[in-house]
Amino acid sequence: MTYWKIFWEIALVVAGTSFAVITAIVAVRGYIDLHAMITQLAQRSKKR
Amino acid sequence: MVFGALDWSIVTGYLIVSVAIGLIGRKYAGDVTQYLVAGRELGTYIGIATLAATEIGTITFMYNAELGYRYGFAAFSAALISGVVMIFVGRSGFIIRRLRELRLMTVPEFFERRYSRGLRLLTGVLVALGGILNMGVFLKVEGEFLTVASGLNQRYLVAAMTAVLLLELLYTTVGGMVSVVITDYIQYVLLSVASIIVTIYAVHHAGWGHIVAKVTTVMGSGGFNPLHTPKFGATFLIWQCLLWLAVHTCWQTTAMRMFATKDADVSQRVMTWTGFIFLGRGMLPMLWGIAALTLYGTGTLIGGVPSPVLHGHTMAPIDAMPAMLSQILGPGIRGVVVAGMLAATMSVNSSYLLGWSAVISQDVIAPAREFMGKQPLGSKGQVLLNRVTNLFVSLFLLFWGLYYTPPGAVYLYLNVTGTIFLAGAFTSVVGGLYWKRANLTGGYLAMVMGAVGVIVPFFFLHWSENITGFIAFSLAAIGLIAGSYLGPAGKPLQQAVPELGGEQRI
Repeated sequence: MTYWKIFWEIALVVAGTSFAVITAIVAVRGYIDLHAMITQLAQRSKKR
Repeated sequence: MVFGALDWSIVTGYLIVSVAIGLIGRKYAGDVTQYLVAGRELGTYIGIATLAATEIGTITFMYNAELGYRYGFAAFSAALISGVVMIFVGRSGFIIRRLRELRLMTVPEFFERRYSRGLRLLTGVLVALGGILNMGVFLKVEGEFLTVASGLNQRYLVAAMTAVLLLELLYTTVGGMVSVVITDYIQYVLLSVASIIVTIYAVHHAGWGHIVAKVTTVMGSGGFNPLHTPKFGATFLIWQCLLWLAVHTCWQTTAMRMFATKDADVSQRVMTWTGFIFLGRGMLPMLWGIAALTLYGTGTLIGGVPSPVLHGHTMAPIDAMPAMLSQILGPGIRGVVVAGMLAATMSVNSSYLLGWSAVISQDVIAPAREFMGKQPLGSKGQVLLNRVTNLFVSLFLLFWGLYYTPPGAVYLYLNVTGTIFLAGAFTSVVGGLYWKRANLTGGYLAMVMGAVGVIVPFFFLHWSENITGFIAFSLAAIGLIAGSYLGPAGKPLQQAVPELGGEQRI
């Protein structure tokens, strides 16, 4: 049981840290991607 | 707890901003490729945001918290499997790479390319049926969260959820995938912030030492070791591996994000990084559930676990987490968290509405029209058909979803209903992509035996969920192999067709 407890504690730390770090990165770089996507779609609409 | 003016202002402000931004997508939803897969313009980071937001809803928080409450740390095994399997799929490109290269818009579309239009139609019916039944419980569970967490009177539950559904419907119908992606980005950031806040508050209030001690006292080793948990065991873990492999590759809403990425490399990167988010998507709310057990698990034992009791009132385990939030969060923070949960609700529901409507319109109605000898629909006709289907799916969800109560743990109910079509669809897709011998007879048998393998054991023989899921996948595989050897040779996979600037016909 002790090994399982330690295992889940490590898993939880990895999960929580990954969640927070990826969220921070996606919040910034996702906006850039979103802007690029809308620009591309706008250009396509103009072409049509 | 009473929701204060500040909390209501935050929630209302979020709703207005979210819908207003969602409506921007209307300008870019000109043809069916833009409407259903955002013109295949998703980059890596926005892809991660929309995929994560699509698969993290209030329903996710609720069922994972319930699982944590009932099974302690052993529940983490389900979260770990979902994340690790997703990372594996992303790194290897298993299924998703080839499907992306085919430029599909829906999963059943693959069945016509590889098998036949008839099998596409059957798969479309099963996918839509399983998907909508699955989504059918969302509104009620989400409504329960909102009423318990905000202190909203139960009699306003139907009105509140109807209003939320109508707002989602508004921007999803008008702007399709483009609107969904834009709102998903905002919703993902908000729901993630809310998740982190709740985790900090839950551990702070319950105390890590108390959390571990409570699980040890109530569940013993079964609260940590999934092989010792009566409901889990080895069959549960194997079924979870198969199920998550199927979900990450063949679940319509997930697959649509893969189809919407710029190319196959981007789709793999999106899947890999979202896999890490999936670890937290499961484990964090499970931890909230365990914290709620620690704080309020003092009632009579049900299934070996004490019922949650708050102010002398006994609740269902699924309501323990929102009840905890209503007690531990302060003014303002409550508003941010509930807005975050609303964001999660809206991101999932809008994506699911679009996903299941797409299957009904593209894979059921359109092929059925052609069977009847009617002309294929043009791009604008398809967009209109999708919009109408969206409306009807919403109406069904509204009337059925608010009144149906799932039996047992919601997580397991959702897994079982999903398996109705996932067992056959996943097996047929694997066979269709990687096994030349796979043929139409095998495809039909896999779909039918996979569905029967769930419906008969679970609904009629009342076998446990994990045994049912295990049997369904096994039967689907047997069906594909037996049918493929018994029937005539299959047709080769029809490769991608170029998209002709909105003139593509189905």
